[in-house]
Amino acid sequence: MPRSRFLTVLALVLSLLAPRMAAALGKAELVDLLKSVDERQRNQGDWRDLVYIEQKEKDKVDVAYEALVFRRSQDQKFIILFTKPKASQGQGYLRIDKNLWFYDPSVGKWERRTERERIGGTNSRRSDFDESRLAEEYEPEDLGQEKLGAYTAQVVKLTGKPEIDLAFPVIKLWVDKETKNVLKRQEFALSGRLLRTSYYPRWKKVYSESKKTDVWYPEEMRFYDEVEKANSTLILVKSVDMRPLEPNLFTKAWLESKSR
Amino acid sequence: MRGYLDTLKVIALIALRNLFASRLKTLIVGGIILFGSLLVVVGTALVDSVDASMSRSVIGSVAGHIQVYSSKSKDELTVMGGMNMESPDLTPIDDFAALRRTLLGVPNVKAVVPMGLSSAIVTAGNTVDVVLERLRDLARRRLAGEDVQAAYESEKDHVRQIIKVLSADMDNVRKIQNEKAISQDDLAAAAKAASEELWAGFDRDPYPALEFLENRIAPLASDADMLFLRYLGTDGDAFAKSFDRMKIVDGTAIPRGQRGFLFSKWVYEQQVKLKTALRLDRINDGISKRSKTIARSEELQRWIKQNVTEVKEIMLQLDGQKTASFRRLLQGELGSQQSDVAKLLSEFFRVDDANFAHRYRFFYDKLAPQLELYRVRVGDMLTIKSFTRSGYVQSVKLRVYGTFVFEGLEDSHIAGELNLMDMVSFRELYGSLTPERAREVQEIKTMAGMKEVSREQAEAELFGKPDLGETAPIGRAGDEAEAVLRSLAGRQQREDRASQPYDPAQLEQGDVLNAAVIVKDPRRISRTIKDIEAAGAKAGIPLRAITWQKASGLVGQFVTMIRAVLYISVLIIFAVALVIINNALVMATLERMPEIGTLRAIGAQRRFLLGMLLVEALAVGVLFGSLGALLGAGIVGVIGAAGIPASNDILYFLFSGPRLHPSLSPANVIISLAIVLAVSAISSIYPGLLAMRVSPRQAMQSDD
Repeated sequence: MPRSRFLTVLALVLSLLAPRMAAALGKAELVDLLKSVDERQRNQGDWRDLVYIEQKEKDKVDVAYEALVFRRSQDQKFIILFTKPKASQGQGYLRIDKNLWFYDPSVGKWERRTERERIGGTNSRRSDFDESRLAEEYEPEDLGQEKLGAYTAQVVKLTGKPEIDLAFPVIKLWVDKETKNVLKRQEFALSGRLLRTSYYPRWKKVYSESKKTDVWYPEEMRFYDEVEKANSTLILVKSVDMRPLEPNLFTKAWLESKSR
Repeated sequence: MRGYLDTLKVIALIALRNLFASRLKTLIVGGIILFGSLLVVVGTALVDSVDASMSRSVIGSVAGHIQVYSSKSKDELTVMGGMNMESPDLTPIDDFAALRRTLLGVPNVKAVVPMGLSSAIVTAGNTVDVVLERLRDLARRRLAGEDVQAAYESEKDHVRQIIKVLSADMDNVRKIQNEKAISQDDLAAAAKAASEELWAGFDRDPYPALEFLENRIAPLASDADMLFLRYLGTDGDAFAKSFDRMKIVDGTAIPRGQRGFLFSKWVYEQQVKLKTALRLDRINDGISKRSKTIARSEELQRWIKQNVTEVKEIMLQLDGQKTASFRRLLQGELGSQQSDVAKLLSEFFRVDDANFAHRYRFFYDKLAPQLELYRVRVGDMLTIKSFTRSGYVQSVKLRVYGTFVFEGLEDSHIAGELNLMDMVSFRELYGSLTPERAREVQEIKTMAGMKEVSREQAEAELFGKPDLGETAPIGRAGDEAEAVLRSLAGRQQREDRASQPYDPAQLEQGDVLNAAVIVKDPRRISRTIKDIEAAGAKAGIPLRAITWQKASGLVGQFVTMIRAVLYISVLIIFAVALVIINNALVMATLERMPEIGTLRAIGAQRRFLLGMLLVEALAVGVLFGSLGALLGAGIVGVIGAAGIPASNDILYFLFSGPRLHPSLSPANVIISLAIVLAVSAISSIYPGLLAMRVSPRQAMQSDD
């Protein structure tokens, strides 16, 4: 169903600031590290960038988008505003609290989805749209070191805590030893079946004005669906801009005013 | 000549004498023949009637006699009665004008109607969303200087009433369950929404308060409704001309050259109507049409229980004035002093067999006029969002012009799930991948520098050489964003486009997914199908043409299936009859060997013997076959007068209405008699041959 395709793209765009991981051997240290990763992600500051997304799906034509992403980590708000192709121009997603709004300028209509509903009858879950809570939701386990091309990676296995309903009960992360960035991530079902493999081959540093320090971001992300092998997604991040955002940006009025 | 007649007379006399002589045998054989011919008459009459009624409805509603679509399509086409909700995946035919020309060139084709089938989920938002959307619009217009003060004040009042209802609801939940049943955040939000501070500055600057209400209060009302709409895009005029079964119930047809939407009455009632009212209708139907009683039917009791507990749906619709009016009306009707309208409503909906009819009338006469019975009203704008074939989201805003039914199929969901839309809007929502769109996608990929990396090569290619840790130049997405945003200005077209007419010539120029063909002579459908496919091949449009039975899905082919079952049972019965008659005659022949020998001795020809047995068999066939046919005709007559009730949805569709009144055609009787005579004649051949072999000498010898 094409709807799921669009939402996957959206969810992947949101995972833009993927967690940065550091290698550690002890369990307690791993938990601490996950905590700091989550904490750091929550305090990423104001963020603006241009993303290019390509989605391939079985028996369907390829889809490509260009979109502007505005994100404020402080209150977990974001806007995704599509700029290309023409058919999608001006359409946008706005997240405020637990609401995800979709706006289509060609009809001037807002559509709200709450977290309670299954979005558009698909299997998209709320966790796809949430911030990373690895430290709270998973138990880490050290799997030693592994070569990944020219890199040496620390491999960490994360197992979901039993009382939490998670989209992916098991996650494996390959973390670059030197920079502590996630290079590869695999998600598994409870049965151990591999569901998705993602790669983050190019990490870049940028100076954040709101944080007064360098912030890392993955310039390229590739997602390969391991269940439906023909499906894959590529996201490229360009023109990252860390200047503070206008305070009234995350409102319906703002998005409306931009396409009216 | 006279000699022949005399011979025949003698043969007939002998045959009849033989039949009477072995009465029991004759009765057994006759009974089988009687049953067979009765089955043929009743069975064919029933199947013919279903076929006729269904074909009238299906051909006259959507399918036409023949459906045509591209033979390159992945799926097979079903226009109604498909078993899954997904629309079939059809390859569009690019140029409808060329298709129409080609089809009209086929001799038997009278008319061609363009079509396309698709579906969308419309999220209408919950009651609070809808009210807040109206308030936002009114506030905007008021600030722009429009004279909407009265409507604005009333809507504002309505929102404040809603907040009261939601707060009361939360208090109730806390009382019934526990203090923690509602989160502190939600309680605080409700308190803030009810506070004077929020409303004090509303008139001056409504937007911050609106954002708060939309994001924090609207999600508290959980009656969000999704409409699942299956729709048929078509040329409204051509459709109305070719399909006489379609009748407008409310509103009007979509005017020529206008974008618009027509709800199927069935969908409108089942999906768009206020749930409480729908349940009252169902209870009413159960009592009046299906002779149920509330006391005995668990189903009716369940609906009543839902109405009693789910009064919030109505409460959210009431502003201050309506709340007062409801209180007064319900107190009067129930003779109660209760001031809580929610409790009064619950009490009102707790109906029994004695008071239901009265309360049902009261609801529609007094309460319903103050409610929005339908979430979308005729005349409203409906926004339909769909995922196009090229993968992108596309929305269109359409005026709802009215509702319609297909006569004879009013209550069938198989036919009733189909709504209608103008073809131009349909094409926008369908969004075939045009060369222009494909080029655009390619441009985006080139601009972004996207590179294909296969799954197998991913690690080697992506991690082959280190590319981490460089400091990226500080981007200026902000500036780029400003430029992009400026270029987006003016994209909003709002309602104007929905009310702008389109050039009817556009209908002809674009693509279609399928087309209905109406023929001049329905008896030549299979020939016309061949002609259409040949004409398509000649014109370079690869076409597949199917009959209306096939186009109406599995249910449509049900009749063909029943007919096959009938024919097979008839075949089996008569095969058995043939064997039995044959055996009976063989035995009779053997028993009568001396007599046959004597007849031969006194000069009877072999032909005479064969004729004798043939007449014997035919006499039984004609007598009992006619009796069976007569009895069958009687049964059909009785059933025809009473009608067979359609007890479920599939039968409703097959019968094209609530009852089937089968009728008898001469063909049913003629076929039955023809089969009986043929079987009788065939079964006399073998005994006849036996008899013919007998020589007078043999016959006389065997007597000892």
